[in-house]
Amino acid sequence: MPPAGIWIDGLVQSCIYMTMAFGMVLVFSILGILNWTHGQFYMLGGFVVYYAVTAAGIPFPLSLLISGAVVGGLGMLVEKVVIERLTSPGYGILSVTAATNALIFFFEGAAGMGFGLMNKGMATVLPGVLDMGSFGVSYQKIAVIVFTLIIMVAMYIVLNLTKVGKAIRATSQEPDAASLYGVSVKWVRVIIMGIGCALAAMAGGVIGIVQSVNPFMGRIPMIMSLLAVVIGGLGSLTGAIVGGIMLGLLNSVIAYSISYYSEVALFMLVIILLLIRPQGLFGAAPK
Amino acid sequence: MLELRNVWIKYGKTVAVRKLNLTVNKGDFVTILGANGAGKSSTLNAISGLVKFKDLRGEIDYKGEKISGLKPGAIAARGLIQIPEGRKLFPLMTVRENLEMGAYLRKDRKQIAASMEKVMELFPLLREKLSAKARELSGGQQQMVAIGRGLMAEPELLMLDEPSFGLSPLLRQQLAEKIKEVSSEGETIILVEQNARLGLMLAKYG
Repeated sequence: MPPAGIWIDGLVQSCIYMTMAFGMVLVFSILGILNWTHGQFYMLGGFVVYYAVTAAGIPFPLSLLISGAVVGGLGMLVEKVVIERLTSPGYGILSVTAATNALIFFFEGAAGMGFGLMNKGMATVLPGVLDMGSFGVSYQKIAVIVFTLIIMVAMYIVLNLTKVGKAIRATSQEPDAASLYGVSVKWVRVIIMGIGCALAAMAGGVIGIVQSVNPFMGRIPMIMSLLAVVIGGLGSLTGAIVGGIMLGLLNSVIAYSISYYSEVALFMLVIILLLIRPQGLFGAAPK
Repeated sequence: MLELRNVWIKYGKTVAVRKLNLTVNKGDFVTILGANGAGKSSTLNAISGLVKFKDLRGEIDYKGEKISGLKPGAIAARGLIQIPEGRKLFPLMTVRENLEMGAYLRKDRKQIAASMEKVMELFPLLREKLSAKARELSGGQQQMVAIGRGLMAEPELLMLDEPSFGLSPLLRQQLAEKIKEVSSEGETIILVEQNARLGLMLAKYG
């Protein structure tokens, strides 16, 4: 049995994958596309928080909100300028896939030019360790978990208790019926892209507490959250959460147990799971 | 009140509706009968703004204003509400949320609560199902929610697309009575049906 610290590290990763996967599923459920640039919105969120905290001296929680607003706004712009056009009738899925892939390199290149290629780490935001008897957990890691919980609770409230949230859910379930009752599907698409990208950005911002940021930091979390989405079942928000938690914990525990081979084992496990249950854990069975 | 003049609907090379003229006056109950694929739903979708503008020819006016080309939301805001074919409920949302979505464009909370009460009076069975998810309901109950959702929008003109589809004869009968009840309150209704008996039984003209 791996020591408790390994599980905690896994949980910290789970938080990131879960938040990102949640945003990815939201975008998929309304726009019907995978946003391949999701990892770069995560990276940009990391940089916004880094500069807000270190250069502007803004408190961390507020910096996190700012990263959500700034990067969410950028995501809305991308939807309006690029995705809306490329998902209109007449364009195949390849056009938008190519465009969002191109944006990966655009944003990474732009971040490299603007912020430099080196790792940037914040000074400790929350010093100290919580003593749990046989092991200790740094307050930083606890902060990642707490902020993630707050973000997920906020998402629950937005989606279930607000008018916008209900319009989003209605549009994801029956877009035509939603528009018949006055929901502007175009507007919902823009909003959902904003929320999805804001979630990625805040995940990137939160991880900035325990890891350094660089222009390429979005690649692995993107792949991991994509796997989380596929394991959970494409289109299922519960699946995104469970998939994210599973993947974070498995990654950490397997890495502890067999170090270098961990990724081989992890991806093998994912493939076996998908062979047994192609629709993912919470996805609808194929018709 | 509603006037369709020389309306054509064409999806690519397929003509769904050819040269349709239709006038609906306030308080009317109009039934459009026809077999599957006759273009009935396309007609309602054209009125509701769901048919893309490039597929539509001719003019659709409502109260003297041209509405063809407007977005579905703008048409709904003018009080033209469609209860779509196959009910198209939001399956993972509760009955209450489905009904509330019907009132999406309304802001008057008190009036919305009054409409909700009216729907409960029309379909008392729904009262105990308010917290159930729409997909958990039977076909007949789902149709009640669909009609209730339409009424929550406070329609000036209600368009029902094959409400009897998939229902047992007994349920059809009950449904017909409910539609009659709504119509007797002065609601203007366009009903699209394959079931000629139900359609003609209800209509003032068809």
